[in-house]
Amino acid sequence: MARTLGPLLRQPEETVTQSKKLSMVRTALALGGGACLLYAVLVVTKHGTPSVDWTGLLLPPALVGLLVGVLIVLVHRRACRMSVLKIIQQVRQMREHQEVGLVMLAPGDELGEITGPLNEFLTAAKQNVDDVQAENRELRIEARIAEAEKHHTEAIIFSISDAVIVTNRFDELILANEAAEKLLGFKFGHSMRKGFDRICSDGTLVRLIRETRSHAKNFTRRVVEHTMDQKGVSRTFAITLSCVVGQTSEVSGVVAVLHDITHEKEIARMKSDFVSNVSHELKTPLSSIKAYVEMLVDGEADDEAARQEFYEIISTETNRLHRMIENILNISRIESGVLNVVREPLSVTGVVTEALDVALPQAKAKNIEIHQNLAPVYYQVEADHDMIYQAVLNLLSNAIKYTPDGGEVTVSVSLDDRRNVVIFEISDTGMGIPTEDLPHIFDKFYRVQANKKIAKGTGLGLALVKEIIEAVHEGKLSVTSEPGQGSMFSFELPVIE
Amino acid sequence: MAYKILVVDDEAHILHVVSLKLCKAGLDVITAQDGEEGLETFLAEHPDLIITDFQMPRMTGVEFCKEVRRQEQAHHVPVILLTARGFDVDPSEIMAADIAAVLEKPFSPQEVLTRVQQLLPEKPTHVSAEVQP
Repeated sequence: MARTLGPLLRQPEETVTQSKKLSMVRTALALGGGACLLYAVLVVTKHGTPSVDWTGLLLPPALVGLLVGVLIVLVHRRACRMSVLKIIQQVRQMREHQEVGLVMLAPGDELGEITGPLNEFLTAAKQNVDDVQAENRELRIEARIAEAEKHHTEAIIFSISDAVIVTNRFDELILANEAAEKLLGFKFGHSMRKGFDRICSDGTLVRLIRETRSHAKNFTRRVVEHTMDQKGVSRTFAITLSCVVGQTSEVSGVVAVLHDITHEKEIARMKSDFVSNVSHELKTPLSSIKAYVEMLVDGEADDEAARQEFYEIISTETNRLHRMIENILNISRIESGVLNVVREPLSVTGVVTEALDVALPQAKAKNIEIHQNLAPVYYQVEADHDMIYQAVLNLLSNAIKYTPDGGEVTVSVSLDDRRNVVIFEISDTGMGIPTEDLPHIFDKFYRVQANKKIAKGTGLGLALVKEIIEAVHEGKLSVTSEPGQGSMFSFELPVIE
Repeated sequence: MAYKILVVDDEAHILHVVSLKLCKAGLDVITAQDGEEGLETFLAEHPDLIITDFQMPRMTGVEFCKEVRRQEQAHHVPVILLTARGFDVDPSEIMAADIAAVLEKPFSPQEVLTRVQQLLPEKPTHVSAEVQP
């Protein structure tokens, strides 16, 4: 297109040339016409005063002049026609190519003069067309960008694990991701532009979306906690509802994001239960301590023996409180992963021997015999020494605690060659654990009711053993028990190759 | 005859210290380690007042108290509830079981005694039951 603009600049020059040509045609016609007129005058005059015979003298040149004039007119007319055809042809070409250009005539063309204004008009028109085309291109690009952005946004929405639902100002579904489809049990493809109340059976969610849209002035965003039934299971969601506000500040729809907080709620509940249990359990020894101290202060102990008894109770309960706090802290540290686990090659036999040294006086006091059947120390496991020691000591203390005076406790460490694991076993001749209690004995604060009268406990010792063996060391802890006969606890840890 | 107080708690030390405090104040004390045992003792001994722990095996203090309310006929026994989690016990449950006082652990033995003295009826009922022809 640009190349056709060049000739336009030469236009004034050509226009001048063409004007000269036109004036020549006019002169020729005037001369011919003038000669004919003069001839006619002379013919008339000759009839009046026939003194000189000018007619004979002037006739040939007049005729020649007229002939020339007529010839020139004919030639000029033909040239004009040719020029018009050229112009028509060029305009047709423009139409064919759908491209506005300039009308070009040969230099000195008969109609050269009109190409100027015509091209001016065409140039202006071409400018308009160019502008419109440029605008069109921009709009097409913008539309493509918008389309790409739409796909991008949809991809983001579809990748979100929370359910996302978008409705328009008629509460019709216009967008929903896979999570929403699963949660509400519909197919977006079949539900597009359908009223949301026809898609969702949960009346509260339908109402929340409707309210958010209609009360848009009061809240543009709010979070509502709502429990819904999903395939027969009750799940709690934090639903974030936001208004989509258009350029005219009118609400054009609502976006609802449903975040499943069932697990968080469960954790919060467990945490609350744990804190509640801990405080209850801590208050029990604290109550005894406080009560006996008050009795001593108030002089309620009658004699030295009574005072001594009170002191001993206070001491025992203080130790119990201390043990509880230690166990709670250890469990909490293990569960939260804060506890620094130092894994090193160690011999389970070595650790058991250390624990036995501590537990033997306790056994002796109850006249309990401890049988040892320990494999050689060179079988090593990779474990945290202090934790395994704690686990073994807890199991050992329990066995001694719940075995009546004169009973027996057997401790063994063996190797299972086939499975390549070290097995620690401890069995007692105690009262055993009732079958209904067995599934719960590793729960925090769970205490076998029948055993409560026999020995004091925190309800945390076995929970801690389970955490240490299974959560920290990926080992296996198990228990078998025969009420009235005794119990056997065992754990196994993989041997280092 | 002295008033008869039934103390129910699964913690032996608490039973011991509360009993001791009440005995020294001249009250008769009978003890039980859980609700079931408590109910048996209540039916057998007809105490004038009951002190019970809330958190106990098998049956909570409130459940035990409701059971007592079902069983009692002639007279209404005041009940003091000992609890380590006072705010966790539903107040409507306490109303329903008609519990006279709630004392939070750790408690003061003197406070228990004071409450007992406030709540005791004019005369020991088991005494009056005995003197009735």
